[in-house]
Amino acid sequence: MEEIFAIWQRDILRFFRDKARLFGSFAMPFLFLIIFGSGMSGSIRSLLGGADTPSAMASFDYVKFMFPGIIGMVVFTTSIFSALSVVQDREFGYLREILVSPVKRSSIAIGKVLGGTTIAVIQGLLMFVFVPFIGLKINLSIMIKLIPAMFLVAFALSSIGLLLASSLKTSAGFQMIVQILIFPMLFLSGAFFPITGLPAWMNFLVTINPLTYSVDMFKKIILEADKLDPLLRQAMGLNLTVLGHQVTIFNEALFVLICGIIFITLATVKFSRSN
Amino acid sequence: MNDIENNMNNIIEVKSLGKNFGDLEAVKNISFEVKEREIFGFLGPNGAGKTTTINMLCTMLKPNHGTASVNGYSIINSPNEVRKSIGIIFQENTLDEKLTANENLLLHCRFYRVPKKERETRIKEALNIVELSDKRNKIVETFSGGMKRRLEIARGLLHYPKVLFLDEPTLGLDPQTRAHVWEFILKLKEKAGITMFLTTHYMEEAEICSRVAIIDYGKLIALDTPDELKSKVGGDIIEISTLDNKASKKEIENKYNKEVTENQKILSFKVDKGHKFLVSFIKNFKTPIKSINLRRPTLNDVFLKLTGRQIRDEEVSVRDLMKKRMRMH
Repeated sequence: MEEIFAIWQRDILRFFRDKARLFGSFAMPFLFLIIFGSGMSGSIRSLLGGADTPSAMASFDYVKFMFPGIIGMVVFTTSIFSALSVVQDREFGYLREILVSPVKRSSIAIGKVLGGTTIAVIQGLLMFVFVPFIGLKINLSIMIKLIPAMFLVAFALSSIGLLLASSLKTSAGFQMIVQILIFPMLFLSGAFFPITGLPAWMNFLVTINPLTYSVDMFKKIILEADKLDPLLRQAMGLNLTVLGHQVTIFNEALFVLICGIIFITLATVKFSRSN
Repeated sequence: MNDIENNMNNIIEVKSLGKNFGDLEAVKNISFEVKEREIFGFLGPNGAGKTTTINMLCTMLKPNHGTASVNGYSIINSPNEVRKSIGIIFQENTLDEKLTANENLLLHCRFYRVPKKERETRIKEALNIVELSDKRNKIVETFSGGMKRRLEIARGLLHYPKVLFLDEPTLGLDPQTRAHVWEFILKLKEKAGITMFLTTHYMEEAEICSRVAIIDYGKLIALDTPDELKSKVGGDIIEISTLDNKASKKEIENKYNKEVTENQKILSFKVDKGHKFLVSFIKNFKTPIKSINLRRPTLNDVFLKLTGRQIRDEEVSVRDLMKKRMRMH
């Protein structure tokens, strides 16, 4: 047990020491939220506008809509990139020190996933710095629901990251694969635009994308979906339907949890076999 | 070798160990024993199979056939017990350079389950031995190459391993640092009675070993003390210049039945156990001697005799340079 804690603590320590990374982790979300978001906001409003728009629709604020997606993006990218540390350790040698010690391979995998999860949740929470700027109302009950949700999502995504890291030899290779994955997963998750009215093949990808359910969970919690006007709710894409069933938050949480368990098991096995 | 060493137990026993990488037979049926408390050397050119053998003994690689036991534990059946008993200093640096020396050492204590009460004392002690106590809370990134090596050695000792594996420990270091590192290693051996298993292609390092195993193309081609290996080569070389080289040459040829070669006014010939031969030779030599030099064969001469090649060739030097560069970053 202490070994898992030691591996976890090392990753946390390295994260907080890396000032450049901390600072840079704000840049992307900031750009998306403030620049892209505000820019789009205006266009969407005029698209939705017109004399006979229901008043509920007129209050659709794109930036608010985007915020849960931004949280999703931050948690996602942080989780995947935390696994980069495994590849770097292999490249630059520290992994050998761990592998040659009596620490169990499964402990290493678990420690890494927990480390990545923690860092992703911290990063996600740091994003709440932007809340006053976009006029969202966040209360305690939202945070209480959100943190476990973020933890679940980060856990699943860190496991995916570790599986990738166990399969790739160089950090360059890892980053390349991740770039190829990141954009489709992000854009087909509903983070940036409602995923309604998409062609069938895209719909399929959306359905199997764990990020879709993750982002939807965040949306439901942050935007307080059950309190929204039904029309607005539909416009924001909060009525996620899969195979004819309306997906609830509990469905989503379960799906993400199962994903996480599957991937961490796969990652542990792969990790134990590789050198 | 004295009686005490003869009665020492074997701390490592290797039986017909072999490893293939695809078609390449990296290690072919190697068998040997390492005695407790000795400094055991593995000498051979790059690619000979030294690192592969060490990796198998450290349980990082599974052998294709054969087995070995370290500290009584099988590398195949009880890898975890083996890992607890050994320490390894790798060729490459395996420190976490973003952390402090103390943090690196503490992590090591945790991975090896060093009892909590002992951690502080052992860390202090290890830093003391390698003279890095004042750098305890400095980030490793700021250390020089030699300091990093010393820290790695300190780290390898924290869990009091029975065997310390050193894989080319001073590769890429300048001669002075190399001498310092060896000073510490030897000090340590005395203090803690650790057995050391060393791979190297530096002759000078192999000379320090109690016994040396010579490896080439995955095979063990010789195993003995450095002195014995060298004397088997067919002797030391005596180089002599005299007032009358012609007469001297005749004298040596007739008296001792040796082949004498002359090169730039210096006569040279081979003898067995030159240090024993020299005294009576000088006493009994008729022609006045101007200068005399006893050159002992090096382990490279041994390798040359056994394989027809040098240990360090051109290709090896380039790889050394690359490794050195990697260590410097």
